[in-house]
Amino acid sequence: MNVSITDILDQIIASLPLFRPELLLIVGFIASICSALFVEKRLKNFTSGVYLSTIVLSIYFLCAQLTTSATGFSGMWIVDKLSTYARLIIAFAAAIIGLFIQQRHKQDNNGDVYSVLLAAILGMNVLCNSSNWMLAFIGIEMVSIASYVLVGYFSKQKKQAEAAMKYALFGSVCAAIMLYGLSLIYGLTGSLDFQSPQQLQGLMVAPEPIVTIALLFVFVGIGFKLSFVPFHVWSPDVYEGAPTAITAFLSTIPKIGALILFTRLYTVWSSTAFYFSDLTSGFLLFVSIASMLVGNLAALRQKDIKRLMAYSSIGHTGFLLMAVFAYQDAFQYLLFYIVAYVLMNLATFIFIDALEERTGSTALSSYAGLGRKMPVLFTAFTLVAVSLIGLPPTMGFMGKLMIFSAVFDTYQMADEGIVLLLLVVGALTAVISLFYYFRIPFYAFLRNTESLQIGVAKSQILLWVGYLLTAFVILLGLFPGLLLNLITA
Amino acid sequence: MGALSILIFLPLFAAFLILALPTSLKGSYKYIALTFTVFQLALSIYMYQQFDPTLSGINTIEGYQFVEQLPWIRLDLGRIGKLEIDYFVGIDGVSLPLIVLSTLVMLMSIGASWHVEKSTKGYFALLMILNMAVMGIFAALDFFLFYVFYEVMLLPLYFLIGIWGGARREYAAMKFFIYTLLGSVLMLLVIVGLYFSVVNPASGAHTFNMILMMNPGNYVDGSFFGFIGNYHEVFGVPSRLIGFIVLFFAFAIKVPIVPLHTWLPDAHVEAPTPVSIILAGILLKIGGYGIIRVCYSIFPDIAADTNWWLALIGVISILYGALNALAQKDLKRMIAYSSVSHMGFVLLGIASLTAEGVSGAMFQMISHGFLSAALFFLVGVLYDRVHDRYIYNFRGLATIMPTYTVYVAIAFFASLGLPGFSAFIGEAFVIIGAFNAESMLTGVPRWMAVGGSIGILLSAAYFLWTLQRMFFGQTRLQGGEKWRVALTDLDTREKIVLLPALALALLLGIVPSLIFHHLNASILQLLNTIKPYL
Repeated sequence: MNVSITDILDQIIASLPLFRPELLLIVGFIASICSALFVEKRLKNFTSGVYLSTIVLSIYFLCAQLTTSATGFSGMWIVDKLSTYARLIIAFAAAIIGLFIQQRHKQDNNGDVYSVLLAAILGMNVLCNSSNWMLAFIGIEMVSIASYVLVGYFSKQKKQAEAAMKYALFGSVCAAIMLYGLSLIYGLTGSLDFQSPQQLQGLMVAPEPIVTIALLFVFVGIGFKLSFVPFHVWSPDVYEGAPTAITAFLSTIPKIGALILFTRLYTVWSSTAFYFSDLTSGFLLFVSIASMLVGNLAALRQKDIKRLMAYSSIGHTGFLLMAVFAYQDAFQYLLFYIVAYVLMNLATFIFIDALEERTGSTALSSYAGLGRKMPVLFTAFTLVAVSLIGLPPTMGFMGKLMIFSAVFDTYQMADEGIVLLLLVVGALTAVISLFYYFRIPFYAFLRNTESLQIGVAKSQILLWVGYLLTAFVILLGLFPGLLLNLITA
Repeated sequence: MGALSILIFLPLFAAFLILALPTSLKGSYKYIALTFTVFQLALSIYMYQQFDPTLSGINTIEGYQFVEQLPWIRLDLGRIGKLEIDYFVGIDGVSLPLIVLSTLVMLMSIGASWHVEKSTKGYFALLMILNMAVMGIFAALDFFLFYVFYEVMLLPLYFLIGIWGGARREYAAMKFFIYTLLGSVLMLLVIVGLYFSVVNPASGAHTFNMILMMNPGNYVDGSFFGFIGNYHEVFGVPSRLIGFIVLFFAFAIKVPIVPLHTWLPDAHVEAPTPVSIILAGILLKIGGYGIIRVCYSIFPDIAADTNWWLALIGVISILYGALNALAQKDLKRMIAYSSVSHMGFVLLGIASLTAEGVSGAMFQMISHGFLSAALFFLVGVLYDRVHDRYIYNFRGLATIMPTYTVYVAIAFFASLGLPGFSAFIGEAFVIIGAFNAESMLTGVPRWMAVGGSIGILLSAAYFLWTLQRMFFGQTRLQGGEKWRVALTDLDTREKIVLLPALALALLLGIVPSLIFHHLNASILQLLNTIKPYL
């Protein structure tokens, strides 16, 4: 490779416009570190202002990229509609989570948390925009390290520190395994770009046992971020131990980026007729079915709402993998389900947090009899639960219907029994999920309890955001075209 | 906005109104609910009069009346094609009588809720949402719309049973929800399958339009549920048969058939009286309606193949339900099992595939609708007064509650199929249909009709035996003097609620053509659709 340095420089400079939202995040990252160091002591909440304006500006730049479809930095950086929309969803969720943290952690917050969040978002964007293993690994590590810090950031009790420790240990092992798998793949193919013909050809001719090991090792890293079965064991402990605002972050943003990466990977790798393609699709089918079953069945036994949501999100990941399986050329339903998932989860955690603030507990039984005292909150919570189950007239239902349609279409063409099994499991787990999601209204409305003391909520803003998200869940469930036509246009 | 849309969404408006009013005006909630329901009933009766009974409906769009069709969701999903979902409602001879029945039963249920004290705001709002969902189910002609209403119906019911129910309400509410949802999630898969198999000839897109699904010409060759050239099999079973079975399973849970009936006694016993009335009066009919509108109309070929089995299930339900009713010691449970038995006639009638049988089944649904509502209301009268309904705790009620006894006696005799009352017409037509089925070569043997007749005999046994045990003989009450004081006779409100139902039972028993006249064209059309496959 004898490329002159000027050519490289030219390319980098030409590619810079594609990197604009991320450059902005980097600037915001540095600015918020400075602000946390020097300004925060005098001007409380200044850093959150820096954070929010960074996010808003990055949304602006992302919107400017909507029509762009190009690659830059010698093919390392892909900008297309899928990545831009995914990054928009990430930015939107990040704004709400920033608000969440700002409202909830006013006292114990010295502003550093925002710079960590921005770093995590940068990592997510990298995952969305890359087909290069090197970049993907850097992205995964950026998100992971930021997440470790976030989980432990507000820790006051042993439980939170323990969660952070578990998360970091499990994460590092997974990262190491993935890196080993990547080195095997590079050794076999001589290419780091998983979309390149060179890598595909390399995988085709490589011996089967070594391909099996390499691929499975790589999936370990992605599996850790997506927390699908069997790499899910960390998530219930971490979800329960982390502060609710951080749990809201963990359950939404990191999954989006990893999912987009996996979608890109799966589309390319499953398209051939060779062994590694069969392995990839077999693995995805197995993992999807297992995640739906394990997530939903384990959730049945949970008594803590945050643990319950951890298992619920494992189940939803299984469902999202179903969308990845059916992904071909149209990404609308995948994005629609991601949006639905993000809206539902953010709303749920806002409600959980509002209740935790008042009752001081996240145990399901602590909701007993509260429905009469807080009818609006629990009505909204119930509607979100209905959407999480996937019943009409909510977004969760529309999303499920579209994914079922896409998978059914695949089934009709391929006529494979396992795909039908996937569909049936997807449908039946909805029934299972009814049991545990309906514990929320069950305790709130059906159970009675002696009058208990409820504290007053400090922040109403957050609750209103939660209601707004609930309204969107219903509105987009009734008129999905509002969102989908936006995506298609 | 047409009359049908007003009928569907009027209760939703009432629900919002109730939710918007402050709690200080809580005395007005029941009046709002009452006003809207009365208006609904008036509107449905008006539609019944305007209805042209010569038009057939079923699988011809021209045969439907009060049709409204608006594009609702239009999405381009790339390779999967365009998603085409309409707001598409209309009624024919099958749905119209059920809509009128629903508005009547809803009104009875509001009358029964007059003394509800516990969080009236939520109660009446949920009742109104349920009302909307039920109307929507009977009017929807787009499968997606149908499914949305079908699922929306579950939520208010869960809360109505779960919050205002009896001692084991939590269990009963969950059981009911799980049973129905189990049926409907699998139904969703079949709906998706049908969607991909059917193409709208006008637009070339896949569609959820039920009417288009009923025409074999609209199916894509070789598609999953296609009529022609369909090689698809699931574990060796043809795909169309699977589709039919899944849909039948979903609706059979609602009917309910033995052995999928176990949710019903629990739900009925634990539900408050008004909700029991709605459950028995309307919701069980959704099962029968679904079998006619969806299973039989979209899968006529499979309907012709499987009717022997369906009739068998019907006969088993009739006999098993009746025998169970005979063994019950709780009055409400007994009536719940009698519903299982009576709904068995509906299934037997539909499966007989004769004009008499299917008309009889429809008639039985209407008749059972308001009679079971009256029966549950009568149980509620007793329960309101002494909070007990154990049959052996009462004896000789006739002396202390004479008017009540008269009403109960009329309702019991009407339900057991005494000639002159509506249930007789329904059951007799079903049995005639089942007898004729053998000579019409539809595959239902005569002994099944005999089984049905034995069911009528058994129903006479359990109703009369209960009447004798509870109302006649020396007065002896479990609660002693306290109960004797509490057991006052029917008041005016209760008489007003009961009278229309019992009068209707008598009227339809004497002039059945009031219903048959409107049914006939649609039933014949349905049978003509199935006939080629027999």
